[in-house]
Amino acid sequence: MQRRQFLAGSAGLLTAALAPRFALANVPTPFTFDMVPPTGSREEFVKWGVSQRGEDPKFLGERFDRYGALVRNEDLWEDRNKHAFLLTPREEFVLKQNLGRAYDHAFLDIGYGVTISGPHIVGRMTSTIDVKKGEKVLEIGTGSGYQSAYLSHLTYNVYTIEIIKPLAERTRSIYDALIERGYNEFKGITSKNADGYYGWEEAAPFDKIIVTCGIDHIPPPLLQQLKPNGVMVIPVGPPGAQRVLKVVKNQAEDGTITVARSDIYGGRIVSFVPFTKLEGDVIKGTHNE
Amino acid sequence: MNDRFAPAEALPAAPVAEDDLVLDPRGRLALYLAVGLAAGAVIALQIDVMRVFAVGSWSHFGSFVVSLAMLGFGLTSAVMCVAKTWFQRHWLGAASVALALFGPLAVAANLYVQKLGFNAIFLVSDPAQKWRLLQIFVAELTPFLAGAVFLGCVFLKSNRIFGRVYFADLAGAGLCGLVFLGAMYLFRPENLIAAPLALWLAAMIAWAFGPGGLRALAPFAVLAALAFGGHFVAAPALGLSRLAVNDYKGVAYARKFPDSKRIYESVSPFGYIEAYSSSYLHFAPGLSDNAAFNMPAVPANAYIAMYVDSDGPIGVIRNLPDKDTAYFRFLPMYYPYVIKKDPKVFITQFGGGISTAVALRSGAKEVTVAEGNRAVLEAFHSKVFKDFTGDILGRVNKVIDYEGRHYLAHTQERYDVIDLSLADSTGLSNPGGFAIVEKFSYTREAMETYMRALAAGGVLAVTLWNKEEPPKSVLRLYATMAAAAEDVDSAHIADSFFVASSYLSTATVLYKRGGFAEDEIAKLRDHTKAMSFDEIYSPGFFYDGTQTDRTLDGYVEQIFAGAAGGPPTAAPAAEAGPGEPSAQADPAGPADPTGPGDEPGANGDTGVVPATIMGRLAWASLINGEWPKIAQRYVFDTRILTNDHPYFAAYVKTKDLPRVLDRLELLQDEWGYLLIWATLGVACLTACVLLAFPVIWGWRAVFSQTPGKFLTIIYFACLGAGYIMVEVGLIAHFVMALGNATVSASVLITGMLVFSGLGSLTSERILPKMRLAMPPIFLAIGALLILYALFLDNALDAIGALPYGARLLLSFVFIAPPAFLMGFPMPTAMTTLGRLGKDHMFIWAWGVNGCFSVIGAAAAPVIATNFGLGAVIEIAGLAYLLALPAFFGVISSGRKPRFA
Repeated sequence: MQRRQFLAGSAGLLTAALAPRFALANVPTPFTFDMVPPTGSREEFVKWGVSQRGEDPKFLGERFDRYGALVRNEDLWEDRNKHAFLLTPREEFVLKQNLGRAYDHAFLDIGYGVTISGPHIVGRMTSTIDVKKGEKVLEIGTGSGYQSAYLSHLTYNVYTIEIIKPLAERTRSIYDALIERGYNEFKGITSKNADGYYGWEEAAPFDKIIVTCGIDHIPPPLLQQLKPNGVMVIPVGPPGAQRVLKVVKNQAEDGTITVARSDIYGGRIVSFVPFTKLEGDVIKGTHNE
Repeated sequence: MNDRFAPAEALPAAPVAEDDLVLDPRGRLALYLAVGLAAGAVIALQIDVMRVFAVGSWSHFGSFVVSLAMLGFGLTSAVMCVAKTWFQRHWLGAASVALALFGPLAVAANLYVQKLGFNAIFLVSDPAQKWRLLQIFVAELTPFLAGAVFLGCVFLKSNRIFGRVYFADLAGAGLCGLVFLGAMYLFRPENLIAAPLALWLAAMIAWAFGPGGLRALAPFAVLAALAFGGHFVAAPALGLSRLAVNDYKGVAYARKFPDSKRIYESVSPFGYIEAYSSSYLHFAPGLSDNAAFNMPAVPANAYIAMYVDSDGPIGVIRNLPDKDTAYFRFLPMYYPYVIKKDPKVFITQFGGGISTAVALRSGAKEVTVAEGNRAVLEAFHSKVFKDFTGDILGRVNKVIDYEGRHYLAHTQERYDVIDLSLADSTGLSNPGGFAIVEKFSYTREAMETYMRALAAGGVLAVTLWNKEEPPKSVLRLYATMAAAAEDVDSAHIADSFFVASSYLSTATVLYKRGGFAEDEIAKLRDHTKAMSFDEIYSPGFFYDGTQTDRTLDGYVEQIFAGAAGGPPTAAPAAEAGPGEPSAQADPAGPADPTGPGDEPGANGDTGVVPATIMGRLAWASLINGEWPKIAQRYVFDTRILTNDHPYFAAYVKTKDLPRVLDRLELLQDEWGYLLIWATLGVACLTACVLLAFPVIWGWRAVFSQTPGKFLTIIYFACLGAGYIMVEVGLIAHFVMALGNATVSASVLITGMLVFSGLGSLTSERILPKMRLAMPPIFLAIGALLILYALFLDNALDAIGALPYGARLLLSFVFIAPPAFLMGFPMPTAMTTLGRLGKDHMFIWAWGVNGCFSVIGAAAAPVIATNFGLGAVIEIAGLAYLLALPAFFGVISSGRKPRFA
């Protein structure tokens, strides 16, 4: 997109958006699973986001720009996942001091020694487990809440566990406040403060599991609570130096269960993308510059 | 690696007798004490800052900050060079004020730095972190500046007694290093600042009874109250953190668990050890995924977590009943017991005791364990650990309280199983990057020792974390073990290894003396299959060579796509708009092994992840001798570990460094290594700026009249860089014998500085005949250092099994000869410059010395990781040899300029 076009469009939308903003305590149009945000152009998406979701045009624009980068990098390859990314307000899940970098290709601090993963890795992980509507998904390590918020646009059966009590409470209050504002999709998220090592026995089995906490082995209870042919993704390694492990629980016809490990790139060697810095929707170097 | 431990020396002035300080004997003694204690306080503060960073965040930043803070001495030199007249006139007041401010500034700097909340892992992605780092540097610089001004002013007025003041400076700094070592037994890390503060207080008292005058006692007392009160009373009362542990340190997580409870704590030079209990702690390092479907549940509350300097966790296993140990069979350390029944076992690193517990439960008839960290053993002898572990150390046959490799090198005992498994922390947290530390247990020489200590048919089992993609450390381990086997028994190398790994988990290498029998291979293969581990190598294993190019090229592309000289990026990024992905990222790569649509490919490894293929390629080429060619093409440096190069670090090839600068995020586990390069760069840049100060201020004219100026600069640069490189290089070397970096640093600091101080004191006697006496001294230093570079490893290896006290004593004996001689060149040249009236050259040359000592400290780890520890000492030796011809430029009177 041309910079001039972008500026003109943004200015118009900003004007349009500011007037109703004070009145937008609620999301104008509640989420439904057939909701499809426009992807044709930035202006179109921002306009739609302001009118349908009551969101800030600045963040909507940044989200669309990052969306473009995710698609180009093949972190999103299926429409439902693309729409889910565009519908998830990441800015609601970052700390106030990091709002300006909410859509940067970077993990950000959220306190308690926990990070909100970068949008590319969240997109890649979510695309990898390919959540279908109605599937039951378990997340170990609620953290910021962004991952489950993203998942809630793919299915209404999201369970999430956070080990750190104050973080679990903070994130729950964020969900509740957003639900209050009209984000009814977050009602599909059930959360609790507990030790995720043991999974969620009462809600098991799960079609998909996302683990976002560090551990030196895959907890056996999680493998047990994963349905046959279910998929689990687990970042391995400390924050900032992680690879994401993909685990598939295969069950043969004779009932024998085997577990196959690969990474979320499906065992292929792919080029890593250095942390890109967007200006508008154009990538301008990296954050090292 | 430890970094900057420089003697707290500062700017001396030209020894013009009438400017000198005149003191009675009691006053002179007080002066020497004040100088020694102040220099000791500066050294103690250096170590304290490094300890605080090691425990609170990341040790490498401690080295970085201290290195740069020591440039305060160079800065002081430059300023005093420019304002020499003022300082000569107001030296007493300036010295007293600077000394008085040292303590409060040290306390204030620490409290300020702890409040900043610096987070190294966001250094690249968050611009605010760089600003905080700058604030840390400036804050930590201030107390060192105060120390430098005090010592500089004293030197300025001490020309007639310079040799003795210099001795006091060196010896005081050295002995106070030992005092700090003692303090580490008494204080928690947050209160270790008490050591430099106490030394500073003593220095003020001595100063007041000497040149400072008794009237200085009252303000000194006020400032001492301010410093001690600020740290010990005001900070806790105001809720200020004295040591803020980063949220991303391992212990920070344990502290957040709801039922977390600290059940053990100990302080010593071997580390600040804490242990926590919590039901939220789960360890089963490298557990097979199949455990979930083939055994009862992993028992709850089976572990406590141990942290050393806030890093960890190291899992300490509870004494479990038989019914709860079924999962041991699913751990990678169980491998040797698949084929060895009733073995005699040696555990080379006890760690948290998991390997020992597995050995005890797997039918070992005899178990010997070794642990080099005495504080860890002490913890296991405590009641709380004994109760929890069922006194695991009491259940083994023998406990060796030093490194296993040293014991095995000197014993006649032979073992059926020797285990070196996952003794280190799991590395789940990362407050910045992984530290570059010497891993002498994994070197080629160590592996040879283990292999030779096996009984006939005995098995060496080494398990390492395998969490890198592209693989790095496991490839170094493979190459190191193959090289060791080549030395021990090259005839059977192809039959002697069995290797298995679990993707992004662990890798285990089994070496059997004499080679595996067919039935043993079959058993190991069955076990590997039952565990869903990947077989990497076994005797007769077929590797499909058609995958080699694709794998090696793919990894290069993965890291360097789009970089200068690298392959092009696979997909357009900058211009393209959002749209459908056009193609798979790497259609040539192997298929997804977990995908539903696996299709048989052209080779036997279709469906295998690249890291596994790379492991197989590595072993195939290690066995058939083609590894050097493969390693050259591999994306990372896979050099073997040796006693000279004992690092699981520095994987980025030096030639690739410029190409990774725009993709640092991909290499966060290498930040420790990249930081030592950054430190060197910043040190060089800052040193150049400081050295340019006098030139900018128009001193070129003065220098131009000074004969021998070029060689004088060379001389002091060589001494500055050479001395510190010997110190830093030997600290790393001596870890091999002393087993601990902090102890090694303290011994080296004390030994080097005290013996050099004695050399300095003795140097007065050779002044009249220095033209004849100094050349042999330089030659002796150079020769000794080169000999040390070549043979010190053998000597340290030989003393490794002696009692600890004997090792400490012999360490001092080894240090003494070069350190004593290295005490001669500096005071000799300094006094001569003064006598020749080369005032300004003299002052500037000291700046050169200070700046190059910082550069040398920063260069030492870079040289060590690239060329080996021996190279650091060799280069230092060459620097001293180079200083020999330069010495004649220093003592050139100008009547017969020889060199300049």
